[in-house]
Parts: sequence; structure tokens; C-alpha cells
Amino acid sequence: MLTQEQGIVEFEKGRVIPDRLIQNRHGRYLGHAERMLGLYKEGIGKTRQELHRGVHQLLDDEAECPTRRIDAFCKLLDDASEFDRDAGGSAAKLRKRIFRMAAPYHPLVKEKDRLFETSESDVKGRIAAELGLPWDEIEKKLFADVMELHRLKEFPGYPDARTLLSRYNVAQVQVALYRASKMTVWAREDFKTILCYAKMANLLHTIFFEPASHEYRIELDGPASILRETRRYGVAMAKLVPVLLACRNWRMRADIKWNRGGWKSRFELSPKDGLQSHLPEPEEFDSNIEAVFTRKWGDQPREGWTLIREGEILHRHQKVFVPDFTLRHEDGRSVLLEIVGFWTPEYLNAKFDTLKMFPEKNILLAVSRAGAANLDQSFNAIIFKTALKVKDVLARLAEL
Amino acid sequence: MSIAGHNVVAQLRFSEGTLLLEGVSSESIQSHFTGVPLKWDDRVGQWRCDAIWYSKIIEIIKGTQFRVEDLIPKQSPVDWPYIAIHDLREEQQKAVLAWMPGKKGVIVMPTGTGKTEVALSIMRQTAESTLVVCPVRDLMYQWHQRILKGLGYDAGIIGDNTFNVRPVSVTTYDSACIYMGKLGAEFALLIFDECHHLPGPIRRDAAVMSMAPMRLGLTATPERSDSRHMDLQWLIGPTVYSLELADVKGRTLADYEIIRIPVHLSTEEQMKYDRLSNEVRSYMQMKVRETPGYTWQDLCAEAGKDPESRKAQKAFHAKTAIEDRAEEKLRVLEDLFRLHSEGRVMVFTGSNAMAREISKRFLVPCLLNHCGKKERLDILDGFRKAEYRVIVANQVLDEGVDIPEAKVAIVVGGQTSTKQAKQRLGRILRKQANAKATLYEVVCAETREEQRSRQRRNSDAYAGTRHRRI
Repeated sequence: MLTQEQGIVEFEKGRVIPDRLIQNRHGRYLGHAERMLGLYKEGIGKTRQELHRGVHQLLDDEAECPTRRIDAFCKLLDDASEFDRDAGGSAAKLRKRIFRMAAPYHPLVKEKDRLFETSESDVKGRIAAELGLPWDEIEKKLFADVMELHRLKEFPGYPDARTLLSRYNVAQVQVALYRASKMTVWAREDFKTILCYAKMANLLHTIFFEPASHEYRIELDGPASILRETRRYGVAMAKLVPVLLACRNWRMRADIKWNRGGWKSRFELSPKDGLQSHLPEPEEFDSNIEAVFTRKWGDQPREGWTLIREGEILHRHQKVFVPDFTLRHEDGRSVLLEIVGFWTPEYLNAKFDTLKMFPEKNILLAVSRAGAANLDQSFNAIIFKTALKVKDVLARLAEL
Repeated sequence: MSIAGHNVVAQLRFSEGTLLLEGVSSESIQSHFTGVPLKWDDRVGQWRCDAIWYSKIIEIIKGTQFRVEDLIPKQSPVDWPYIAIHDLREEQQKAVLAWMPGKKGVIVMPTGTGKTEVALSIMRQTAESTLVVCPVRDLMYQWHQRILKGLGYDAGIIGDNTFNVRPVSVTTYDSACIYMGKLGAEFALLIFDECHHLPGPIRRDAAVMSMAPMRLGLTATPERSDSRHMDLQWLIGPTVYSLELADVKGRTLADYEIIRIPVHLSTEEQMKYDRLSNEVRSYMQMKVRETPGYTWQDLCAEAGKDPESRKAQKAFHAKTAIEDRAEEKLRVLEDLFRLHSEGRVMVFTGSNAMAREISKRFLVPCLLNHCGKKERLDILDGFRKAEYRVIVANQVLDEGVDIPEAKVAIVVGGQTSTKQAKQRLGRILRKQANAKATLYEVVCAETREEQRSRQRRNSDAYAGTRHRRI
């Protein structure tokens, strides 16, 4: 991720517009990106400082190029590089040795005289002789641990110029979110992925169902957000962006207050914006049992029941449960179906406890024989052997 | 147990820098918890407020019939392995006495008057789990050393890629505000060193998200230009003691003198400098002709869209770099090192690059961000023992870092504001024998650096700057 100082945003009627390079306006950047990748590929052994200067020079004649954009590219290239950071601390040891050796001769004067009898060149010559290295070499190693003087060791890089540009565009969106105080996601799919990553980022959610559009509105912010407007959780929200971009059927809005006491703005994003995630799409099914069951059921309703994957979110405060399927009948009834495969007893007990939090819901459990031993009698359950059969589910639905 | 009609026991928890109160009706909140900004948090179904309100809530609970189960783990008192703190001077004793009754408040004392000793004495007397928050990691390491020497305690370090939390720990403001959500219930006493850094919009979380009932702020310069220092009142507490610089000048502290040495660019540098200056000037003139009222800010704003503006901007930076690293400065430094070859000299530069330049030329250690804990300690220790006669630093030593007994400081053309200059001054004004302290300022003649230095002289601490050519 970029730093705040590498971010570029514009404002338009209360909307935050992060910097974005697009084909028809910035076509030249494809060439720039290729040359940047080339510069790093051929830059093994060069210092960070030299590489960054090289990137600056590459873009010297580019008509439209803010310094922050150049710095952002340097950061993205560095992020995909391996530098020799002198982790063993040999530069520090060398410094100590040399400064200690030189200390008795302080001050090292240019021209010696009667008062000060040791010149800079004498002392440096003596140290070089003792270390058995030319002074130039010593000086090169003396600050090898300084960030800007780290030397490039390897450049795994990015697959191609296009990927670098797309990473740039996503990174700029993320910087814009560092100042976000709240993020709202409207989703029709992939709830589990979105909520799970939000939880991992330590965000708190508030979930609403919007019947008109048949989508869930998930508001995300942090513990202190209800006490005062705070940007403390902006970085956590920024981390969600690649996750969202990998999901399907969502849109997002972030509330951003740019300056303290300044104006309020918003940022909006959806798959229509065409940004690419570097993460893979979420797995469609948790297990093979679900995949097989979905295939067997098919797209058409059976006896009036339609099968919908992850159709509903059950939630109470911060406890969330997304059953694998929702079965919706033409007459408006709906039943939730949760398939429980082969898991540890602890996992099963936790799952059963969660389900008990939603007694008002019509939940049908399909439990494999291996897990059935722990099953609480209060659940409406089907026990299956290896695969869940459609006819068993339909039979149970008919009894409801 | 019945609480305001509910058959539940209310519970108080710490959660990510906030407090959660569960099982209290909204009537009870209104009638008893006035003065505490508790808010109903529907996301979790509990009442929530910032952790800073902990003492107030406890006070309220004690005064009512409520049975609130305080589920926040209590910190046990700290045992100091040994005590080796010097006897406090009169003004230090007064400072400690002023803080003790309320155990919340700010102590204002000029740099070099022993703020750390005051804090160590307070730590010793309270003997509670303590977190010391410092502006930079050098100071953090220095606190670690002082706690080890004074109280025999090997404090935990939170920051600088380390996360070692102990009942007594040291950290930086940046780490404190990031981690206070996790650490807010761990400490009973917070010490904010150079506490004028605290009231920033994000940094204040370091105070707001902690439930520590005891708080101590230390600073030499509490005022902030944005007047947010008023907030220290509720983030830490009132100013309980204040000692002015004028009160101690020439008494506890060595007197000081400021000498400015203008240097000239070499012919080659001057040519390059003039070429760059012309480039910038003629570009600006052209732009002003095109657009009357065109300013440098406009140019910077355009630099992203206009390679010519960008070139002018780069020329300006190159110009500044020539000033910063003028060769003549190294020659002047040699003269000053000759002049003070017996004593210890501290050099402050305007950039890391210049600091390394000096270090490489004279083979003297430089204290920069890249220095690890071990190297830092070796350098400071070597300097203290006068094994190293000179140390070079950029901003690392700007504030509060203890370098005893240095009588000479040289500022090599830094872009410093008045406040920074005052703090740098403080660095060499240590309580010592009567030797007079000297601050040299080495700046390029007739350049922006010299203008800055002139501006700086207008500040009170700089009254009476002398010019000298050598």
C-alpha cells in the first residue's frame, strides 16, 4: 500500500476522485510502465536512490505527471523488489570500527600542521590498509543499511506493464480511503467473504436488508466511530478494497472528510469501474457437497422451491451467520439450508450455538453422519451419508 | 442482583480503546451517569464511551447502589528492583509535589532542567504500571536506559519494529496511537514526554483511548500555534507546575552565545547555483507576465501537468541541495573542530545526506534514523566518555535526547523553525560547570538559508546573535 504522501485525489461536487490511469487518456503510460519494469530488471546492484532517480528521469518529459505519481510508482516497484537491507548489521559494525579507529586522530584536517598532525588522507589510507580494501569500497559499504542506499538484490516485479498500471489504480483508491470515517457496502453475493474480511480488519458492521432492491447494506466502521468522527479505521477499510474488487455484485460508498473541519466528501466504487483485484475470486462453494447439491438441484424451481446460494444474512449485533442456501417458495415462504460436512466436534458445537441465536428462523440442517453424534435434537435436521439428496430435502420441505 | 429494575448484573469491559457498559437501562444512564458521554451502541447492544472516562465511571459506581462488575483486568503495582535516583533539586521537588495530589497534570520545565528525573521520581512513588510516550525512538531508548539505571527496571519497548509489552514500557506517539486500542487497559500511569505533541488530531488517541487514571505531561514548550494545547487540560490534566527559561538561565543552566558564520559557495557551486537560480527566476518571470499574480504555489500545483514547471521545481530543489551541502561548510567545520578539539561538539544538519557527508569526511559518527539501538547507545556512550569528540545528527536529537556536557553545538544550515532552534539550544545548555555554551550557525551567505537564520534571530532565545567571519 502507498503512503498518504503518494496519494493523488481530485474533488468534484463532493466526490473524491483518486488518480487513475486509463487507456485512452494515458496510453503513453503503458510504455512508461514497461520502461520502469525494465529499469528495475536491469537495476540489480543499484541503490534505491539511483533507481528512483532513474524512474524520475524516465518521466521527465511526460506532460502529465505529478511528482506524487512518480513516487507512487517507485513505491509499487520497491514493494515488488528484494533489497539487500544489510540485515546482519555489517554496515553498523564497519562504522563502529572505523569511527573508533579514527577517533584518536580527531580532527582529521585537510592539510596537517604543527598543531594537528593527522590529515584526512593519512588516516583513511591507514584504515584502508588495515582493512585490506580500497577506501572507495569502504565508503560504499559504510552506509549500506540506509534505506535509500539499499541495493537491489532481486526483482520479482509484476507480470507485465498492464498489471503495474492496474496495481497503481487500486493503490490510489486505497490511499483515498485512509481518510474514510465510514464505509457502506451494498451486496447481493459473497456476503461471507466481505463480512469475514471486515471482521479480520477489526471493523464493526451494521447490516440492513433493503427489500426494494433486494440487497444487503453493510455499514462498516470501528468501535470509536459512534463516539466521534474518526479516521483511525481508514487503513482497515482500504485493506478491504482488493477483497471487494474480487467479489461479485456489490457497490461501495465511503464517507471521507478530507481536512479537519473541512468539507465532507464521498467516494463510490463498484465492479463497473473496471478496477482489477490481484486476489482470486472467492470460492463459490465451501465444500464439494454444496457444489454437487447445487448442480443436482439445477436452475429451475422444484415443487415451487428455488435454490439460492448464500441468499440471506442472519445477524445479531456482531454475530453473523450466512447459511449456505436459501430455499424460496413461489408462495413467499423461505427456508434456510445449512450443510454441515465433516468437521471437528468443537466446530460443530460453535455452529449449533450460533444457529440457536436465531430461533425465529426456519433453518434446515443437513448433517453428515460423521457429525450427527453431536447433533442437538432441537434442530430440524436431515442426516446424509456422503452426498445430500434432492429428494430428501424436498420431502422435508413438504412436511413444513 | 437487581439493577434499576433489571435482573442482571451490569458489566464494564474494555474494548479497543473504548469502554462497554452492559446491562444498564437508559433511565439509569440518564439519572446516574451524567457527565460521562456514554452512547448506546446498537452494533453491540451496549453503552460505549472512550476509555479516558474510566476514573469518572468508577467514581460514579462507587457513589451509587449499582453493582457493576468491573471485568477489566487490574494491573498490579510494580516493584522497583532498586532505586538509584539523584536527590532532586528544589524546583524538581516542587514539580513532584505539585503533581502528586491530583495525579493528573502537566509539568512545564525548560530542556535541561531535569524533567526526566522528576518523572522517574513520580514513577518511583506511584509504583504503578506505567507507559512512557516519546516523540521519537531515540528518546524512547533513552527513557529505557534511564528507567533501567534509575529504577533497575528493564522496560518493555513498543515501536521500532518491536512489540514487547511489559508492566512498565516505553513507546513513541505514533505507536501509542496505533496500539492504544490494544494497550488502553494495560497501564495505570501514562507519561507523555514533550507532551505538546499529544493534541494532534490522530495522536490524541494515545490519551483518549487509554483508561489510565494517572497522567503526567512533560514539556518545555506547551504552546502550539494551532492553540490545541488547551486540550491538554482534559487529555492529561491542568498545568500543575511551570518553570520559565528566564528563571534558570545562567543559574542552573550554562549561559550561551550564538555565533553566525556565513559561508560562500565555491566558484563551481556558485556557477551552478546561479544557473539554477536564473532558470527558476526567468521561468517565474515568464509565468507572471502571462498570468499576473502567479505564485510559487501555482507553479507547484502545475508541476504535475507541465514538464517545464516541473523542471523549474527541480531546479529549485537542486539549488537548495547546493546550499545544504556547500563544500565550504566542510572547511568551516574543520576550523571549528580545530578550535574546539578538546571539548565535545554536536553538529546538526539540514539533511541526512549532509550528515553522512560530514561523517564520511571527518570519520565521526552520525546518529540517523537507520541507527539501531546498539549503535545508538555506543555513539551516545562514546560521546559521553569523550571517546568521540563529535557527533552529527539530523533531526534525531531535536528534542529531549540527553547529551550531557556538550558545550558547543553547530547548526549547519537546517530549515528549522524557531521552536526547533530553541530546543536545539536547550540541548547544549546542560547543567554543568560554568563554561559558557556556544551555538554556531553555519549558513550560506546571501541565500535563503541566511534569511531563515535572520528570521530566527527575532525569537527571544536568539537575542544578541553575533556575526563572525572566519
